[in-house]
Amino acid sequence: MTVKDHSSTDDQTLVRAAQQGDMAAFEELVARHRDRIYARAYSMMRNEEEAIDLSQEAWVKSWQRLAQFQGESSFGTWMTRIVINLCLDQLRKQKRQRTESIEAMDEESGGVERQMPVITVNPTAGLERGELRQRINRALGQLSYEHRTVLLLHEFEEMEYKEIARTMDCSIGTVMSRLFYARRKLAVLLADLKKQDSV
Amino acid sequence: MDYNEQLRLQAFLDGELPEAEASKVANWLARDREAAAMLEELRHTCDALAGSEEGIQLPESREFFWSKVQREIQRLEAPAPRSAPAPLFARWRRFLVPASALALVFVAAVWLIQPAGQTGGTAAGDIETALANAGAFTYRDYSAGATLVWISYPADNEIAESDEMGTVD
Repeated sequence: MTVKDHSSTDDQTLVRAAQQGDMAAFEELVARHRDRIYARAYSMMRNEEEAIDLSQEAWVKSWQRLAQFQGESSFGTWMTRIVINLCLDQLRKQKRQRTESIEAMDEESGGVERQMPVITVNPTAGLERGELRQRINRALGQLSYEHRTVLLLHEFEEMEYKEIARTMDCSIGTVMSRLFYARRKLAVLLADLKKQDSV
Repeated sequence: MDYNEQLRLQAFLDGELPEAEASKVANWLARDREAAAMLEELRHTCDALAGSEEGIQLPESREFFWSKVQREIQRLEAPAPRSAPAPLFARWRRFLVPASALALVFVAAVWLIQPAGQTGGTAAGDIETALANAGAFTYRDYSAGATLVWISYPADNEIAESDEMGTVD
């Protein structure tokens, strides 16, 4: 029995074939989008193992729900939403289990970001792509999951405030506040990292 | 600049303000250097994030990752294992238990419906004839709790025999 080569087939055709039960077509979709799905899970979870497990779970879920995919968005976007929701569920569970840190409570109460001085110099100017990625990675890791997620949904998923509010089950005001804090905090962290590296 | 103004500035950057509001903020930015600096800082952060996920790769080979996904899909889609057929006695027992219970209920109902002390026969009593000896009759009165045995002597068949032998006096 020969296995059909799907490498030159477009996503739409692959999805239709997978909806008919074609596992080989689904395997091609997994191969194409697995890095993107993993990257989103990793950005949210900041943990390699959890990111692998959650991206695997997202693919299994997507196979089960494939019939529901009507093509309103691209397959990649639809898949990303699945992994984001799984990550959010996991992060909420973890938050319930751990005690809130004083810093996190401070962030939630707001106001800290108002006192931060404006960073007038671009802290990422002149950095190579790899170095920039590394610094952002470190800075994102220092944000609470709520702030990090709002930032990721806005910057990477290009979601509007109301869509983020719906996804994160909070008000638009909270989204605006968290986004502002996350951006300001990130600017400060990146500036600090720049200072540390230049010493 | 108060907090609401800062958030308004951010909404302007994100294109979340209605047109009229956005033009007001644009005018404000033109004359307020602090607001312009803040907007610049927010913009730098957005630029820094763009493309920061590029190059992140799943640290597992295509084949290995797919094998895990496929195995999980197959595990979830596999029909639930059918239980082995029950042995014959177990299948019979399934019917015997309710049947025995029904029988017990029936017997109990019959026993309760009948008046105490009356276990059969008519209200007036029974008359039994001993088949071995047609000359004996038994009368039982259940209500009085009495039994009367009536024996005709000599028995009818003995009279007949005597007649034949010619011994009757």
